[in-house]
Amino acid sequence: MMKQWIVALAGGMLSLAASAGEYNLTVDRVQIDTGDFVKEGIGYNGASPGPVLRLKEGEDVTINVTNNLDEMTSIHWHGLILPYQQDGVPGISYAGIKPGETFTYQFPIVQAGTYWFHSHSGFQEPNGAYGAIVIEPKGREPFRYDRDYVVQLTDKHPHSGDRIMRNLKMSADYYNRQQQTVGDFFAEADEKGFVATLEDRLMWGDMRMMKADIEDVQGFTALINGKGPEQNWTGLFEPGERIRLRFINSSAMTYFDIRIPGLEMTVVQADGNNVQPVNVDEFRIGVAETYDVIVRIKDEKAYTIFAESMGRSGFGRATLAPKPGMTAAVPEMREAPLLTMADMAGHMDHGGMDHGGMDHGGADQSDMGKAIMDHGSMNHGDMAGMDHSAMSMSGGDASDPFYAAGSGLMPKAANGGKFLSYADLKAQNPLYEHREATREIEMRLTGNMERYEWSINGVKYEDADPVVLQYGERVRFKFVNETMMTHPMHLHGMWSILDVGEGKWNPVKHVISVSPATTVYMETEVDAPGQWAFHCHLSYHAASGMFRKIVVEGGPDSEVAERTQKGQQGGES
Amino acid sequence: MKHPYGKILIPFIAMVVASTAWAAGAHDGGHHDKKMEKPMVGQPGKAKNVDRTVAITMMDNYFEPESVSVKPGETIRFTVKNEGALVHEFNIATAAMHEAHQEEMQMMVEHGVIKGDRIDEQAMKMDMGDGHTMSHDHANSVLLEPGQSGEIIWKFSKPAELEFACNVPGHYQAGMYGDIEFK
Repeated sequence: MMKQWIVALAGGMLSLAASAGEYNLTVDRVQIDTGDFVKEGIGYNGASPGPVLRLKEGEDVTINVTNNLDEMTSIHWHGLILPYQQDGVPGISYAGIKPGETFTYQFPIVQAGTYWFHSHSGFQEPNGAYGAIVIEPKGREPFRYDRDYVVQLTDKHPHSGDRIMRNLKMSADYYNRQQQTVGDFFAEADEKGFVATLEDRLMWGDMRMMKADIEDVQGFTALINGKGPEQNWTGLFEPGERIRLRFINSSAMTYFDIRIPGLEMTVVQADGNNVQPVNVDEFRIGVAETYDVIVRIKDEKAYTIFAESMGRSGFGRATLAPKPGMTAAVPEMREAPLLTMADMAGHMDHGGMDHGGMDHGGADQSDMGKAIMDHGSMNHGDMAGMDHSAMSMSGGDASDPFYAAGSGLMPKAANGGKFLSYADLKAQNPLYEHREATREIEMRLTGNMERYEWSINGVKYEDADPVVLQYGERVRFKFVNETMMTHPMHLHGMWSILDVGEGKWNPVKHVISVSPATTVYMETEVDAPGQWAFHCHLSYHAASGMFRKIVVEGGPDSEVAERTQKGQQGGES
Repeated sequence: MKHPYGKILIPFIAMVVASTAWAAGAHDGGHHDKKMEKPMVGQPGKAKNVDRTVAITMMDNYFEPESVSVKPGETIRFTVKNEGALVHEFNIATAAMHEAHQEEMQMMVEHGVIKGDRIDEQAMKMDMGDGHTMSHDHANSVLLEPGQSGEIIWKFSKPAELEFACNVPGHYQAGMYGDIEFK
């Protein structure tokens, strides 16, 4: 794949301090063979995933992107800090790339780490238009490893993105294969009693949600570096080596729980930024996140990289092996989790509930099911005035503060060991001086599952004004997830400093995953003028409205922000 | 950089060979092995016998240099400076001993003794329940806060598979170790 890259160093002089690299990418129709099905999709340089783009910090890159499709395209360099005109979002950064045209991106590489790139037009990304970016740091890596591999995941679906969106709009549970059946009802009734089971079902029915609504697009085949579980992508190693695995979740909709049975993983980087190393047995990777881990394999045997989807509707599988063809056992998927009442707590209109019947102070959210609620008055669009502080989800028996106490999504390591939490992430070298935020902006993550509409503060993208930030301020974003789905929120152009309560050590990310019924804070140093996209990175949530334009006013280049570029469609996912 | 504890050198607990704790069941964990006995690793050296000094710099999270050559019987003074932003350890032992020691370091983090960029001396004095505290006095390691310096004098014996390592959780795995090569 790398052969397709034309790398021209400035004047052919390797010794030049500031190097410049020129790269060519074509956007092509390709065949994607998952092992389960073959599907036409979109790729780069003739393949999906596209090539691994290996860059160097300090380099000035020129990337020529030629659109061989019969439709508009775009490439967004996910997680890269660059001038906004180079960010690749049609309608926000630029107009996009027309069929047959070549667009030349030019920007300096000012960071190191693992990132990725993808189309920001329509559903080209779920259709296969993604690739990896690996940036070598200027100085030495603060780690030691003998080799590294990109491990890029996706959730390839037999239906095209457009078709999936249409089906979801028609029936939000179209792809929910784990709906509970009549048989489940009687089994549960035997166990819990008929009335309790009936009440439980009625309550979930009234919320237009299913207990199994963890993944709204099931039926995919998980791919690792473009290979299905049977095709088994394999990375080779020599026994005794340390291997750096650069996990990238390029899925449209799917979170994965990743483990390598028999190996401990040391997490050293999250979203391209080094973190203080954490030894884990398993970790969850949200959509669009990256995690770099180092593993050391001493023996001459194969190990399975096992990536179960969070809702257990599919798994990715790859192998680390000392010799080609060697494999290790592939575990059974664990039982699918079910959402609990704790996960719907953020979803309820408190004004319409009988508060007397609910013990807000207690940590036992499961008792909430016994409360009498006025479902008829639940108004998803207008939830302003909710007292979120009264619904404290921390404490109790929660083992991870980034999930609602009693959440069905609370992760557990398969071997009973350590599961990475956001709370474990601490910056290795803080990028910014720690300071108080200048103001707070509340972003309620809202939606109507029945109509498959997703929004921020109850307003869809098409109806929303841009969020205006001032250059030089430090904004504290308060994400309040009032839905029962997990949303990976992605801000373009500026870093998202996740508040894990560690002050200057808070980790710097580009995607902040917000679990149901939780409130998560991130801070952003507003240091990039221009206009940027901000959205849920679940493709079909972004496309149906969970998206905002961010305008940064002022700054060194202040007039550019005023010149609003009109694309044909604003902010495609 | 000023630190509330001043210039402290904290020789460290642990899997040090000579420690009685080493033989105790709690630390046994299958790692106990004849090969790890003291003669192989070497022993604390005396200042008057120092043959030469080797300067080691701690960074986040690696050592400079990443290997040191020694001769059997040589006594070396290691002057260690932490130029990183995090707490680091310099510890001479076998890979297996380091591995066993990492479990104890994990415990120190869980008990708040090591807090990223500082060492909590009070927590370090806490009784671990078996009569030991977390602040044992052993000569094969130093634990340093950012900006601190320390030294250990070590007499090497027969050639052995030794590494110097930082056993703060995750640091060794990320690559904070160096090889001791016998010449």
